[in-house]
Amino acid sequence: MANLKDIQRQIKSVSNTQKTTRAMKLVSTAKLRRAEELAKRSRLYAQKMNQVIAEIAGRIKCSKVGGLDNRYFQKIENPKMVDIVFVTADKGLCGGFNIQTIKAVNKLLKEYKEKNVKVRLRGIGKKGIEFFHYNEVEMLDTVVSLSSKPDKERSDDFVMTSIADYKDGKIDALHIVYNGYKNMITQELHVNTILPVDTEAFDCDKIRSSSMLEIEAEDEEKMLGSLVEKYINYNMYYSLIDSVAAEHSARMQAMDTATNNAKEMVKNLNVEFNKARQAAITTELIEIISGVESMK
Amino acid sequence: MDKFKFEILTPNGEIFNDEAVSVVLPGKEGEFGVLAGHASLTTLLEAGVVDVEKEDKSVESIVIDWGVAQVSEDKVVILVEGAAPIRGTNEDEIAKALENVRKLINDVADSSTAIASVSAKIESATQRLI
Repeated sequence: MANLKDIQRQIKSVSNTQKTTRAMKLVSTAKLRRAEELAKRSRLYAQKMNQVIAEIAGRIKCSKVGGLDNRYFQKIENPKMVDIVFVTADKGLCGGFNIQTIKAVNKLLKEYKEKNVKVRLRGIGKKGIEFFHYNEVEMLDTVVSLSSKPDKERSDDFVMTSIADYKDGKIDALHIVYNGYKNMITQELHVNTILPVDTEAFDCDKIRSSSMLEIEAEDEEKMLGSLVEKYINYNMYYSLIDSVAAEHSARMQAMDTATNNAKEMVKNLNVEFNKARQAAITTELIEIISGVESMK
Repeated sequence: MDKFKFEILTPNGEIFNDEAVSVVLPGKEGEFGVLAGHASLTTLLEAGVVDVEKEDKSVESIVIDWGVAQVSEDKVVILVEGAAPIRGTNEDEIAKALENVRKLINDVADSSTAIASVSAKIESATQRLI
């Protein structure tokens, strides 16, 4: 039977941990509310934006408007070099949140390796960066503190490198991998192919009847380019916002579980403590009684 | 008169979602008006003023910095980066709204003629309010 003092010390330490995890949970809940609000407001815009781009892409595919051979919309066979941008949190203690993203990136890396495609890894968020550093996977560039505080300008700057390289033909695809927010208790992993814009899913028959595309003929290329750039920038930014919301929800959950576990542990330790105390009392009583008996 | 649904979406949420009788949009190739039943089209917009005429004949002006418009027969949706409405019930509010608008326009419009033409329109929209 463990020493009474030891058990007491353990109870104290566990309940201190419980206090910390509970505080962290409360902090995450508050932050989640704000992040969720932001994500909700942006979701509508992101969806519409994707819809517009999909429609334009579909129409280009179906009718080849003005012989547009815009690189953004062309499916590139046998890519040679691709960019993968991953978004993880800067901080840990959020359950499987970061590791899920890392696993998805690893899977993608493996797939490309089998096809002999070179990959440039670009990292946002300390946890993912640390992981790939440790495993000696080469990264093109890394950014910290962007995933915890999404900033439109910094995110635009970051993704601009990929857009420029794509335009120059240095890379042939761009993927963004991040863990997004679904609801308070679930996160959803997204592996989005941003470039080239996916035209596969579009049904040609549908568009012909639905609407027409009006773009000035002279600088079609340029205008579509600027639209696609906005689309990519916004997708990058939205990934960050969505990721923050998911991070806080994951942390809130992890901390909730930790608090409950600590509670359970304190309960068990208390039972053990009471048993030990009772045992000590019994021993003492036996000692006294046997002492009295022997004096008779 | 026929009306249609008109929405303005910014990355920070909806700033306008109401029925409208007509809207005037600053297209890349010049301004164009949309009434209910307009043929479907998708086009780019540039920095300028969007005039929305509502059912009660009141006109609301909203300044945008860039945008994509999706027009269908019963609905018009425009996606913008930034937008600032010119509205207010007293002078203080109007002045504040105007300040936001100026900031938005100065950030985006690169040529001074663009700023000037937009400013003129803002001026007339403000006159209407006062």
